[in-house]
Amino acid sequence: MPTYLARRIGQSLLTVFLTLTTVFLLVRLAPGDPASAYAAPSATSADLARIREQFGLDEPLFVQYGYFVRDLFTGDLGTSYSFHSPALDVVLDRMPYTITLAVSAIAVTTLVAVPLGVWMARRADTRRELGANVLTIAGQSMPDFWTGVMLLTVFAVLVPVLPASGFTSWSGLVLPTVTVAVLQLALISRLVRREMSTALASSYVTVARSRGVSESALTWRYALANSSVPLVTALGTRFAALLNGVVVVEVVFGWPGVGSLVVRALETRDYPLIQATVLVTATLAILVQLLVDLAYPLLDPRVRLGKAA
Amino acid sequence: MAKDTPLLDVADLQVELITGQGVVRAVDGVTFTVRRGETVTLIGESGSGKSTTAMGVLRLLPEGLAVLSGSVRIAGRDVVADPDAARAVRGRTVSLIPQDPMTALSPVHTIGRQLGDALRLRHPELTRTEARDKGVELLGRVRISEPETRWKAYPHQFSGGMLQRILIATALAAEPELLVADEPTSALDATVQASVLDLLMELQEHTGIGMLMITHDLGVARLVSDRIHVMKDGRFVESGSAEEIVERPAEPYTRELLAAVPRLGTWDEDESSYGDGDGRIEPLVQGATS
Repeated sequence: MPTYLARRIGQSLLTVFLTLTTVFLLVRLAPGDPASAYAAPSATSADLARIREQFGLDEPLFVQYGYFVRDLFTGDLGTSYSFHSPALDVVLDRMPYTITLAVSAIAVTTLVAVPLGVWMARRADTRRELGANVLTIAGQSMPDFWTGVMLLTVFAVLVPVLPASGFTSWSGLVLPTVTVAVLQLALISRLVRREMSTALASSYVTVARSRGVSESALTWRYALANSSVPLVTALGTRFAALLNGVVVVEVVFGWPGVGSLVVRALETRDYPLIQATVLVTATLAILVQLLVDLAYPLLDPRVRLGKAA
Repeated sequence: MAKDTPLLDVADLQVELITGQGVVRAVDGVTFTVRRGETVTLIGESGSGKSTTAMGVLRLLPEGLAVLSGSVRIAGRDVVADPDAARAVRGRTVSLIPQDPMTALSPVHTIGRQLGDALRLRHPELTRTEARDKGVELLGRVRISEPETRWKAYPHQFSGGMLQRILIATALAAEPELLVADEPTSALDATVQASVLDLLMELQEHTGIGMLMITHDLGVARLVSDRIHVMKDGRFVESGSAEEIVERPAEPYTRELLAAVPRLGTWDEDESSYGDGDGRIEPLVQGATS
């Protein structure tokens, strides 16, 4: 187990480092100039050259990369061009909002999609199941900005019960959460439905039924427990994706998360800020994946870490 | 229930299965009874409807895909007419020993959890510790060694023969009057088959339960049965005592089934392959006559 953990953490660190290197190169190879985005429109080419020198962008690429790696290992990701403060701090200030929205959206998704999927499995191939399928797929197919704007129109404008934007109170969390969850419902509920249909038709459920186990215990204790590995995998993957920020939803609701920060960083070619964002979100995503992997042997005793390591 | 009421009284049972190719009449009007302390065997080739009969009797065929008619009275209650009666008798009056022990227990729960649950369903007043003590004792009765330590083990940590013993223990947890054994030994090795059958017969001797045995194996049928019904295409083609059926088969189909029983002898590559699906009964028959 300790060997396995050490190896997984080593792999994770390497993945984060390679991701950062890729992003470092890509943003510099992509068109656009941080200096002209930063400078006033009236700036002369001499001004721009001075700004480039100030940002260290006049150096050759490999020299810049050398500085970047050196600073990375001291925990310094540079100063954001537009915020004039350490890039990592700017990102970390935004993270609580992104994490709050991601946790809340995954919680709502789980609480709705799991019972819905179970219900669909137990009413497989009926009109009601078809109806539930159509509705969830419609939810998934609607663009998130449209869902967001519609929810805003109804619940913040026509019937103003919820705040339209920002995060000033917990009620501000409701509409962004619903918008994000609507996108996940079809995926998770259909996965639960498929896994549960297989589990409910399996021999051990029939045998348990033969010894008088109630239908609700068969569903929730036997079949759902046997569906937990793919379910946790899917929820973990979706959660990791949400931690990268949900750009459109954050913009629609004025949510101060990482997603809207990324947009601003890209617009201004704020290299240090882009790199800091990638570092934080990639680390979180990989951490979630690691936790999901560590959960497998708890959910299914047949998964043995001893053999995998 | 009157003393002379059969434990299981099946009258003109028909089972129609709804399949992709249309409706198939898998069981076409069978009538038989099982009394206390008696073993009745349904024997037939694959697809003869014997397992469908057993699962139909317990109402364990998928709802909506199987249509039952006729009557099946378990301890006097008709489970065809009343699905609630089926739920009421399962795990109390009647238990199932399934065909394939390797897939018959939930892989993510310990055997103790599943056996303990079965005990607590029958005796809700038992605490977890009491259920555990009782379960460990049951595991000992089906000759699982070190039952205390094995209580916390998962199904994948056991062999097929051990799992079948655990499933027998789980079926016994219900303290049933009737056991339905759906090919209880066909997924097991020859030597293990013998010990599982021995165990079943010994338990029957001690408890006097009635048994409905499903098998395709005449050796098994001869060993355990009081009465045998030979089944083909959903009907009984021949019925009688074990001796009558084996010694004086009237129907060509029964004679074919008998002829399909391989003899124990030297390996003959051209002739047949001793040790395939049906080639494991000879030791049992010897055990029965010795």
